[in-house]
Amino acid sequence: MDTEKRIAELSERLGYIRDIFGSRENANITLLTSKLHEFGEREPLASPQEAARLVQQLEDLFVFLEKKLDAELSAMDVVRIVRHPHRVSLKDILENVYDNYTEIGGQDEYSIDPGMLIARAYITRRRGDKVHHQPVMVIGQEKGHGQEFRNGGSVKPWGNAKALQYMKVAETEKIPIHTFVSTPGAFPVEDYPGAAQQIARNLYEMAGLKVPVVSVISEGGSGGAEAIGLSDARLMFSHGYYSVISPEGAAAIEAGTRQGQRVPPELITACAERLKMTARDNLSMGYVDRIIQEPHLGARPYHYDFFKTLRQEIIRATDQVFLSIAGMKFFRAMALGRHKDVSPADAENMYVRWTVDEAAAERLLWRRYRKYRCMAENAFVDSRSPTKRLYANVQGVVWSGYSFLRYDFLGKQEKRLSKALGEVEGELRVVVDKMSGSLRKMTRRSGPAVCDAEKSRMLTELSQPELGACLEDWGWSYISPRAREDRAVTCPNMKQSGCPDLWAPDLFGDFAGVCSHCGHHFPMEYQWYLHNVFDPDSLHEFNAEIEAGNPLDYPGFVDKLEEAKKKTGRKSSCLTYESRIDGKKIVVAVLIAPFRGGTVGAAEGEKFIRALARARKRHYPFLAYVHGTAGIRIQESLNGLIQMPRVTMAVRRYIEAGGLYLVLYDTNSYAGPVASFLGCSPYQFAIRSSNIGFAGPGVIKETTGIDIPPNYHNAYQALTRGHVQGIWDRREVRKNLKNALLTIGGRNLYYR
Amino acid sequence: MISKKHKVLVANRGEIAMRIVQACRRLGLDFACVYTREDHASGHAALARELGGESRLFRVSSYHDANEILSVADHAKATAIHPGYGFFAEDFRFARRVTERAHPLVFIGPSWRIIRSLGDKINTKRLARSLSIPTVPGSDRPVYDELEAEEIAETLFAFQAEQGVENSVVLVKASAGGGGMGIEEIHDIDQFKTVYRRVRNYAKRQFHDEGVLIEQRIFDFNHLEVQIVADRTGSGIMHFGTRNCSVQSTGRQKRIEVAPGFRPEEIHYAFDAKKVMDDIVSFSLAMAREVGYDNVGTWEWIVSPMGQPFLMEVNTRIQVENGVSAAISRIKGAGGVDIIAEQIRLALGDSLGYDQNDITFAGVGIEYRIIAEDPANRFTPWVGRIDRFTAPGREWLKFHSHIPQDAAYLIPTEYDPNLALAIVWGRDLAEAKARGISFLDDMVLAGEDQTGASLKSNVAFLRDKTAALLHF
Amino acid sequence: MIDVKSVLEEIKAAPYEEIEIKAPHTGVVTFEVKETGVRAVAPSGAYLEKPGTLLASITRERNVKPLHAMVSGEVATIHLEHSGAFVEAGTPLLVLRHYLTKDEVVAAILRRVLHLFCAPERAKYYFIPSVDIKVKAGGCRAVTVKPGMELFIVSRMKREKPLAYDGPEGIIYAVYFQHDDNVEAGQALIGVCPENQTGLIQDVVNRVHSDWEERN
Repeated sequence: MDTEKRIAELSERLGYIRDIFGSRENANITLLTSKLHEFGEREPLASPQEAARLVQQLEDLFVFLEKKLDAELSAMDVVRIVRHPHRVSLKDILENVYDNYTEIGGQDEYSIDPGMLIARAYITRRRGDKVHHQPVMVIGQEKGHGQEFRNGGSVKPWGNAKALQYMKVAETEKIPIHTFVSTPGAFPVEDYPGAAQQIARNLYEMAGLKVPVVSVISEGGSGGAEAIGLSDARLMFSHGYYSVISPEGAAAIEAGTRQGQRVPPELITACAERLKMTARDNLSMGYVDRIIQEPHLGARPYHYDFFKTLRQEIIRATDQVFLSIAGMKFFRAMALGRHKDVSPADAENMYVRWTVDEAAAERLLWRRYRKYRCMAENAFVDSRSPTKRLYANVQGVVWSGYSFLRYDFLGKQEKRLSKALGEVEGELRVVVDKMSGSLRKMTRRSGPAVCDAEKSRMLTELSQPELGACLEDWGWSYISPRAREDRAVTCPNMKQSGCPDLWAPDLFGDFAGVCSHCGHHFPMEYQWYLHNVFDPDSLHEFNAEIEAGNPLDYPGFVDKLEEAKKKTGRKSSCLTYESRIDGKKIVVAVLIAPFRGGTVGAAEGEKFIRALARARKRHYPFLAYVHGTAGIRIQESLNGLIQMPRVTMAVRRYIEAGGLYLVLYDTNSYAGPVASFLGCSPYQFAIRSSNIGFAGPGVIKETTGIDIPPNYHNAYQALTRGHVQGIWDRREVRKNLKNALLTIGGRNLYYR
Repeated sequence: MISKKHKVLVANRGEIAMRIVQACRRLGLDFACVYTREDHASGHAALARELGGESRLFRVSSYHDANEILSVADHAKATAIHPGYGFFAEDFRFARRVTERAHPLVFIGPSWRIIRSLGDKINTKRLARSLSIPTVPGSDRPVYDELEAEEIAETLFAFQAEQGVENSVVLVKASAGGGGMGIEEIHDIDQFKTVYRRVRNYAKRQFHDEGVLIEQRIFDFNHLEVQIVADRTGSGIMHFGTRNCSVQSTGRQKRIEVAPGFRPEEIHYAFDAKKVMDDIVSFSLAMAREVGYDNVGTWEWIVSPMGQPFLMEVNTRIQVENGVSAAISRIKGAGGVDIIAEQIRLALGDSLGYDQNDITFAGVGIEYRIIAEDPANRFTPWVGRIDRFTAPGREWLKFHSHIPQDAAYLIPTEYDPNLALAIVWGRDLAEAKARGISFLDDMVLAGEDQTGASLKSNVAFLRDKTAALLHF
Repeated sequence: MIDVKSVLEEIKAAPYEEIEIKAPHTGVVTFEVKETGVRAVAPSGAYLEKPGTLLASITRERNVKPLHAMVSGEVATIHLEHSGAFVEAGTPLLVLRHYLTKDEVVAAILRRVLHLFCAPERAKYYFIPSVDIKVKAGGCRAVTVKPGMELFIVSRMKREKPLAYDGPEGIIYAVYFQHDDNVEAGQALIGVCPENQTGLIQDVVNRVHSDWEERN
């Protein structure tokens, strides 16, 4: 009886091993299989004691070989571990790691999103003979061991919204947050609040959460992971993965396959390797702070020792964050710090109060900002000479000093004075108006109309002759090269709107790529905007030397990068400028589609952050003009993905300092950047040619099985869903930007 | 002399297409025509078949599609395109495309830059003012500032009062508008602010431009025009006299044109009519010289009851009424002038071969536009079948029509229901009028619509208006 | 009352419609379908986003315009003599033999059953705005018409005038005109189903659905 049970367990373990290693042949697995099979043949013959001894032997063999196999795990095997229905899930953790918990807003499938689990829990600690219940907000994806309704932890936009709501609750309650990341990625639908927009909102809010956040990553799938992943301490399961994209997704892109086509499994395995997605990889790159060791071949619900380890690790990480921001901390911090690699068990016995006051919260936010600011700093190429770098640093300091004097110190005095003057003037005006009004009435009544000869000349003679006879400003400063082809072009709306074919020089020249019949916007080159939107000769590029690199040595990628650099003459997909619109100074960051689809990696993120810093120091408004972006550059994996929280934090810092942050989408803008530092802007506008969303139609079909309508992502849909704040005609971008600066630039914004 | 190897594609329909084909024949040039499904029975298609055979005629999906015109032109190996009037005649983009495409053709009309400059009314007004040519009093550029706008309006009222205008009216127009949209009038400066803001907001909504024009409204004016003809050099610029086009429909469409513009020899005017005609001719010539005008065109003027002329606009094309000027013109004493043929010849690079002194004028010409419409009912177009339509043969009459004389003809609903142009000539106004009346009486025009009701036309209206022609 | 059965038999005798595909404009034709008998499919996909079979293309001013099948059917005729040649607008290029679907058969029979309100003159017809909104929101069957009710705007030569409905009261069962297209005089504009005939129409639908085999 007992033997049977143990054998059943062993065959389940063998089944699990087979699952993990996929189709791969392995001598150890063969050995285990044959031994187990052998035992099954022999067992009826043996006495119970003999059987027990043999089972024991077999169990020992399993332990021994599992350890051996564990050392052989490839990245793809790890992916299979993480996806296995037996893997520990958040429910298991709540049961076994915390001392008590209440689930919030969900009971199995009865939940706004069963893929997102929220609980209030506590950890009980003893100090001497006193017992402390330390409350935490636990937030994480729940995969539910194969429960269909959990959707594999792929969280819908409203699930992420719920997560954000309870992060804010924790902030109010001043309790720390523990997040458990266990998602293959977010569910990419645009229904309100929208996958991308909600993740962006989460990131923006998390950047400013005034309570410590500790995250634990088991399955860190791209944007879905970032939705709850921005944290002060980042732990990762030893058998987890954390990546910008699934290996299958990366392989499909690499192979250039279309929807429904199969990608060779060897390529998928290779991509898993190349994406450097394992815990060890992420630790060495600095994207996680610590690895929590799992049992061999991954933690499953019956690994009770693992939960003990996890509990201690989480407590210690939380303690460390609190201590790092506390006023009095030396000894405890030293104790925790010095024994980093000894036993975290000590943590349980030490007591750290999990509370934050205002000052500590400030320190927490600054520490969080610095933590992310320092990430990925070596993942791009900076070809500036040391003197140039030094000069740039000095310049930054000078600007900050000047701005302080100009806006904070003198500015305040000036404002006070002008306010007083304004009031006086207002009073005077009333008096003057009254007097002159009655005077005018008197003059008008008396006598016939007399026409001033000087004035009547303006009715019959050329006004402002210095402008010349012809006032019309024909055409644009930059003309698309497509305007040089002698050919006709058919508007895609021809069938519905009856648009005539247009001549390319008219369409791409005079009409600025807009169908003169139906208003359809053909995509245009980013240069068109640079030269037709901003004041002539006002573009001054900076940080052009910061170059996209290949931090993961992704095979073949250097050549592709070189090709992109050669083709575009640019060193990254992000161009940053200081410019002017109608004389108003502005900092502009541009994401250009021709450079690897406008993807964002470490270089682009860095440039964006530096541009934001420049705008902050110089008190200029900031425009993110997104010509197009396909998302995060997958070949950089985490170096790219981390730009989502990283740049969002810089945006938040800029906005909180009083900056006006405008985003303008042009062609196709998808995925990571939209789900973070672009989507978090309160002022996002779209040119009629734009499509905005989280994932393109192919990815949506593949991940959700939903056939989306062809116009699913277009600007009007985005406006209807509340994702953008307005749609602009391309020919009026300059005018609209001018107007936005005038109307949105108010008292608390940099633009005055 | 021009090369006889030229082949002209006629990018138009109806009467003008026929006259272009005939002019090409006179010049010994080859031609090709286009027609649409609805126009299969039109006279221009028949004429093309008759003079050139099936290979000179191509069916297209639309006269409005430049791609159709150019694809046919290339296929037919045409070397030049005549746009006629309407359609592409004043479309500078079309003219530019014709001349700047990979396989360039001659555009029979002014160069595209001239069409562009003079196609813009504000530009035209400023150009005129820069040459001290009189224009309608008011602003000559879009005004964006409310205070400035109010000042102009205020001054306009004072100006009119000073000029002795009894009923002063000021127009506020959306500068980006056109075709009567976004125009309001004010009678008193107190109305200005409300109206100005309404027009400005309308313009902003409708045209995405807040610019507003403020102009005096001129009442009871006569509509005169000057026919200009120039060669490609831009220096040989002649005029072929003036026309008076004051008889119009309620929708401001011309119905009768008379050349010359006034007739002081027979009618007494309250002002010096000869001087007015001389002035508008010399103003028009001056402006044509300034821009280097290089084909035919018409300078349109309005003349106030006090005899003040104001330049309205320039039409950079051949006009419907070109024939009435031709009727009174003599080159080196010879009649039979054909301004369309002149246009083609000059556009193809030929030199004028005469100067202004060689051009003389004789008699009076009247052109009637015979249209199936109901003048009593706001000139509503009539649609139906024409059963009989014949004009009497007279040596003083030129009759242009695309309606077949030998078969019933269904008026296509896609296009204007113009039936014919009749040009009558007389030694003086009295004779021209008398001949006009006799022509209208002798012409036969009958038909019925689907309900069996008989044809409606403007013939009675034309006859009524004949008596007072050129009186002002 | 009409005999639905005999009408159905009549349609069954000639169960297809020959659709002539003409050159939409001038240009040089390239046939993508080279022989008769080829089956062409109609646009497909949940949103008809996948175009039908590419039958031919026509190149004008260096712009290649594809001609896709708008309905399914068999290519009955190809005017291969035009292959690679310049054609005028409206030149016949192919003939598709389209087998009627159930819905089309129902529509064909209904055209004989319903009260047809016809165009009094050749013009473009539009529903008046209030009706247009209803049609767009709820389909034409959401609209009940009464005699004398103002229903259309007739647009001809840039002039517009209203047109009142005349006939029995009922719901608009079918709309036969297309936006911005000219309708010849005497052509049906709408088919109206009087209240008491809804049973008959249901009968037609049922019968066609049980009797008609779709062949596409």
